[in-house]
Amino acid sequence: MGVVALALILYALPTEYQSPVREGLRATVLRPFLAFQERIAQRRGRTVDVAAIRAQRDSLAALVTAQASLAEENRRLRALLALQERAGDAFIPADVLHVGMATAESTFMLNVGRAEGVRVGSPVLTPEGLLGVVWSVDEHQAQAIDWTHPEFRVSAMTADGLAYGIVEPRHGRYPEEALLALTGAPFHVDIAPGRRIVTSGRGGVFPRGIVVGTVLGIEEADTGWRKSYLIRPAVRPEGVAQVLVGVGRSGREADLSALWHVSAAPDPLGADSLPPLPALDADEDTN
Amino acid sequence: MARSKYGFSIFVVFLVLIHLVLHVGMGIGESAPDLMTAAVLLAARRMRAATAALLGLLLGILEDSLALVSFGASAVAFSFIALLGARSRDLFEGDSMLFVAVYLFLGKALRDAIHVLLTPAETGMLLTATPVAALYVMVAGLIALGVYRAITGER
Repeated sequence: MGVVALALILYALPTEYQSPVREGLRATVLRPFLAFQERIAQRRGRTVDVAAIRAQRDSLAALVTAQASLAEENRRLRALLALQERAGDAFIPADVLHVGMATAESTFMLNVGRAEGVRVGSPVLTPEGLLGVVWSVDEHQAQAIDWTHPEFRVSAMTADGLAYGIVEPRHGRYPEEALLALTGAPFHVDIAPGRRIVTSGRGGVFPRGIVVGTVLGIEEADTGWRKSYLIRPAVRPEGVAQVLVGVGRSGREADLSALWHVSAAPDPLGADSLPPLPALDADEDTN
Repeated sequence: MARSKYGFSIFVVFLVLIHLVLHVGMGIGESAPDLMTAAVLLAARRMRAATAALLGLLLGILEDSLALVSFGASAVAFSFIALLGARSRDLFEGDSMLFVAVYLFLGKALRDAIHVLLTPAETGMLLTATPVAALYVMVAGLIALGVYRAITGER
């Protein structure tokens, strides 16, 4: 019984004491297995369905290029207006390593980490839209949750900016049936099926304007004040092999609307009307 | 006896390695059986309670190192089922295939139940995913044990 008690103590330990154990095991015992999957992923990229992988890479490259030109334009305009330059967004490509353990459900590993500028809260994108967010960071690896994770939340809005709410996962009987739901949308606004939902930038984690999904229909109209809508996610996590990880500024100060051609209206609670949110600490672990 | 003991230890290590290769190395999820649980359960039947629980604790920590939330939940679940597995010798003698089948099924179901209790996972999976996973562990464990017995000539 003493060993079970020891396990319970381990379970109850604060995160800061658990993290070194976790990082140590990943860097030692599990390292060969993770490296093995990395090699498999690279080999798969060279052999299986080259056209699809190439298309995915091209789309990611297009995103980065478009983002770079926007950043340049933003820099020039701010210089013209004699405004102080803000840190732009930057993205780095990363390979996705899926861990097939039940304990790691709805999570995935990335082959980039603290050394590459990744931090807790870095958004993870694909050409189709938002996949997830980085949750813990090691030196050269990171672990992220995808949108099916029970803890996943993102502040979102309709692409025209008429309705804001919080997007959270909805689980079906099987993982393939998982959907998203926009909760807390205003009761007086009707969101038609097919409308795009994008990140709003509120909350300081996700940049504004990343596609989250499209509205399928109303889920419920609770208490007569708020509505919830079911959303078909823009990205299915199962097949994703390569992603972009945000290593720049996030939240309201970042706007990626142009990358997905989102004509979002200015945020009524925009960056100018609210004090900036504290930045996420690079060493912080949200676990 | 000593040869059989070492042979079984190698068999257990082999199951754990295969589990890590399938789940971590190749990223196969539920399509691959949970051989870690099978290894803990089968080993526990031949170990002292404290040693079995310690093995469960170590393998649980290994699995927990890939979990983002509820670190230690697998360690608790594994050490508890290992402890019960070792104690089950006091109640049930022998290792007939029928007994091992029921033992693996119940062991995996209990492991998942404890894990669900300690994590924010959906409790509904205990009625849907868990029985299937337990059945899978039972079949995989029986095949593995059958192969081991065929190789070593153990009855």
